Amino acid sequence: MKFDTVIIGGGLSGMLAGITLQKAGQSTAIVSTGQNALHFFSGCFKSLKEPDQRILELFGEAGVRLHYNPGVWLTPLGNFKEAALALEDIDIFPSPKFARKVLVVNFLGYHDFFSSFLAEGLEKQGMSCRVRFLNLPELEKLAQSPSEMRSVQIARIMDHLWEKVVQEVRVLLKDEDAVVLPQVFGLQDAAVPNRIRQGIPAHVVFAGTMPPSVPGIRTLFLLKQRYQLLGGTYLMGDEVVRAHTHEGVVHSVATRNFDNHYLEADNFILSTGGYFSKGLVSNPFQVVEPVFGLDVDYKEDRNQWYNPSFKEDQPYMHFGVKADEKLRALKDGQPLENLYVTGSVLGDTRPDFGFAAGQAIRTAIFAADQILKKA
Amino acid sequence: MNANEFDVIIIGGGITGAGTQRDCAMRGLRTLLIERSDIATGATGRNHGLLHSGARYAVNDPESAEECIKENMILRRIASHCIDETDGLFITLPEDDLGYQQTFVDACRHAGIGAEIIDPDLARRLEPSVNPELIGAVKVPDGSVDPFRLCAANMLDAKLRGGQVRLQTEVTGFIREGDTIKGVHTHNHQTGEDVDYYAPVTVNACGIWGQHMAELAGVKVGMYPAKGALLIFAHRVNNVVINRCRKPSNADILVPGDTVCVIGTTSTRIPFEECDHVAVTPDEVTLLITEGAKLAPSLSSTRILRAYAGVRPLVSADDDPTGRNISRGIVCLDHETRDGLKGFITITGGKLMTYRLMAEIATDAVCRKLGVDKVCQTAEIPLPGSEEKSYEAVAQKIWENPTTAQKAAAARLGTRASRIRTGNKRDDALICECEEVSVGEINAAIDRLEVSTLTDLRRRTRVGMGTCQGEFCACRAAALLAKAHGCVERERKDLEDFLQERWKGNFPIGWGDTLREAEYTQWVYKQVLGL
Repeated sequence: MKFDTVIIGGGLSGMLAGITLQKAGQSTAIVSTGQNALHFFSGCFKSLKEPDQRILELFGEAGVRLHYNPGVWLTPLGNFKEAALALEDIDIFPSPKFARKVLVVNFLGYHDFFSSFLAEGLEKQGMSCRVRFLNLPELEKLAQSPSEMRSVQIARIMDHLWEKVVQEVRVLLKDEDAVVLPQVFGLQDAAVPNRIRQGIPAHVVFAGTMPPSVPGIRTLFLLKQRYQLLGGTYLMGDEVVRAHTHEGVVHSVATRNFDNHYLEADNFILSTGGYFSKGLVSNPFQVVEPVFGLDVDYKEDRNQWYNPSFKEDQPYMHFGVKADEKLRALKDGQPLENLYVTGSVLGDTRPDFGFAAGQAIRTAIFAADQILKKA
Repeated sequence: MNANEFDVIIIGGGITGAGTQRDCAMRGLRTLLIERSDIATGATGRNHGLLHSGARYAVNDPESAEECIKENMILRRIASHCIDETDGLFITLPEDDLGYQQTFVDACRHAGIGAEIIDPDLARRLEPSVNPELIGAVKVPDGSVDPFRLCAANMLDAKLRGGQVRLQTEVTGFIREGDTIKGVHTHNHQTGEDVDYYAPVTVNACGIWGQHMAELAGVKVGMYPAKGALLIFAHRVNNVVINRCRKPSNADILVPGDTVCVIGTTSTRIPFEECDHVAVTPDEVTLLITEGAKLAPSLSSTRILRAYAGVRPLVSADDDPTGRNISRGIVCLDHETRDGLKGFITITGGKLMTYRLMAEIATDAVCRKLGVDKVCQTAEIPLPGSEEKSYEAVAQKIWENPTTAQKAAAARLGTRASRIRTGNKRDDALICECEEVSVGEINAAIDRLEVSTLTDLRRRTRVGMGTCQGEFCACRAAALLAKAHGCVERERKDLEDFLQERWKGNFPIGWGDTLREAEYTQWVYKQVLGL
């Protein structure tokens, strides 16, 4: 199988690179193992501090509406952190005191939404708070198996039950000017959260839950849909096992499912993520990039990988694949002609592109542009 | 009678202190246990959790071996819900001297330990994970014991018998009149309160911190801190304890416990200042993995969950000022006869296995001082929870058709599992999915087992001990604690402390899947949850 570009890794970065290239008329394939950082996405792009029209458009065309509003967002544990760009149903407030009185609504028996922490955090900012629990018989089904009361399962039910939630909240509401609800609405699009907002006569804030993140999974779904509508080939649940490289040029890769059918391409993008996604693999002696054996920037002395304090910055999280100024991967100190590296597999080797989701987006667009420039 | 007056005050919430409180309470004394942090935070909770048969000591220390096998048999009866009767193997590898095997077996039999030489083939069948290259094997009645559970059950029984417990409370000084200790000054780290407690006898059961406590009382006890490092693997690789049949050495015991297994240990003399903050070094990790893989080769490719270390409270023999003659035996010092200080006893040395005997010896001494003539019954009366032998039978009795989570609770709590609120969806919801701990079990622990922090809760319920190391359950459990204690702010700090405590055991082995999990936890708590 021959493509213009093959992208290894189907997370935020790989997907945006794929969309950008498909839009420009390329034929591309994405090889995805299935798990990626969008499953635990907060909904805010913390390192994107400028309103970049191109980024807003890329997402908007996929049905993911973003809003740019420098300020603070409410974390699931009731703290406020800086942000500028977020998904449409995630609020960014000019200052932490976003209301006078707040009603925090949780579901009875749901342990992944930290209503007491939220209430305490809001009270600390001078907002008076009431916490109430909705006892919905429709959720009883989930409670049958004690480990199923989780965000995604609730969100599936909420696609049909949101109107009832609106009614229940209307009944609970007294003179509060804001209502905080868990982010368990809208797995496939943002229509449900928007309708909830329209239905409740107070400002509705959706606060995060324990992963998986419903807004994150929605974003993933919409981007994937957009990529496929543009004609991209998304190979789900597959994994690159071998790469064929000759004289500094990558010719093809073999995947687990298509072992004998090599995926050939003019260009390749590596967006396999950090340790969790196995883009970087560590053993007691080194940190390696497992697909191509690329150069990884890391400390040889393992004692320098960690800070013994959990809350401090951890050096190992900065390790990553080395790339040249065009984001071409380095192997044995030399750039590979047609292999570009994007997203968190870069670690902190290119701080100029930001970190986390911001890094994923910027490096994806940059690498796609490099490829398109060549043609 | 003043509420702050007791017959006996026991300082130290390790297994020795908890066992001594139980024994004293069973003999009708009004008891108070004081512990500066939580139960089982010292050497009690930082060892293999091996129910020694005594075989390890048979050749070099026959006295300890005899004590071990006797206590081994007693604990099987009185603490069945804390014990897993796995049996043990002492294997000879090609690099070991097979001639040692006979010496070992003779010594075992002499000490009363049932040791049986078995064919290496049979050993491989009994324990498929064992190094297949073994050339000799001896089967002994080793087992595994959960020290947290054992300690909690002793404390609970003491309370059921009227004993009082003050955790998070530090003894800051002694109330002394002339040559007699009359009581203690304490400071509660949580409430900030300073309270004095009075009793005619005070027992120092502080393990390695006993030297400091004795100093505070004005007497000298020479102790020698010896650090032992251990690793926990994420799977229960073996079902039978595996030991090396040779002179005791580093990393030659692999013990299965609950869902995991533990390899250890090392032995390093450390300065006293380090006792509160023992850390595992990379060299120790390497040694433990290398030696451990000789017992069970699959360990070299098994994910390591944690590294931890404890400090053995070794005591120098009393008449040996040089400290060369260090004993692992039980040391009970009556400071009246020894130093002319009345009303003060130190019980130390010994090991987890012999805690009950230590408690008996200490309680005998307390009773002598108080003129109480009651016999010890701790060897006969089971601990609360241990009235039934099989956890499956326990679960069956309580729930008829128990779920796996309910069976897990019965295995942890024994018959006390009947106290868990259950049978409705809210209480049966799982908080910790790795170890299958329900809302009901957590609330029962908070109400009945003196839990003030997430780390305390972990010791009582195994919350956060599983493969995710608290990634998902910590937050959920924190919300339950916040509700129970009515304080969210304290719980925020507690959550941070808990994650720090987990990280402390993770980073010394931070590579492979452990590092993946750590990266995820870092990400979730800092970026997503915004702690």
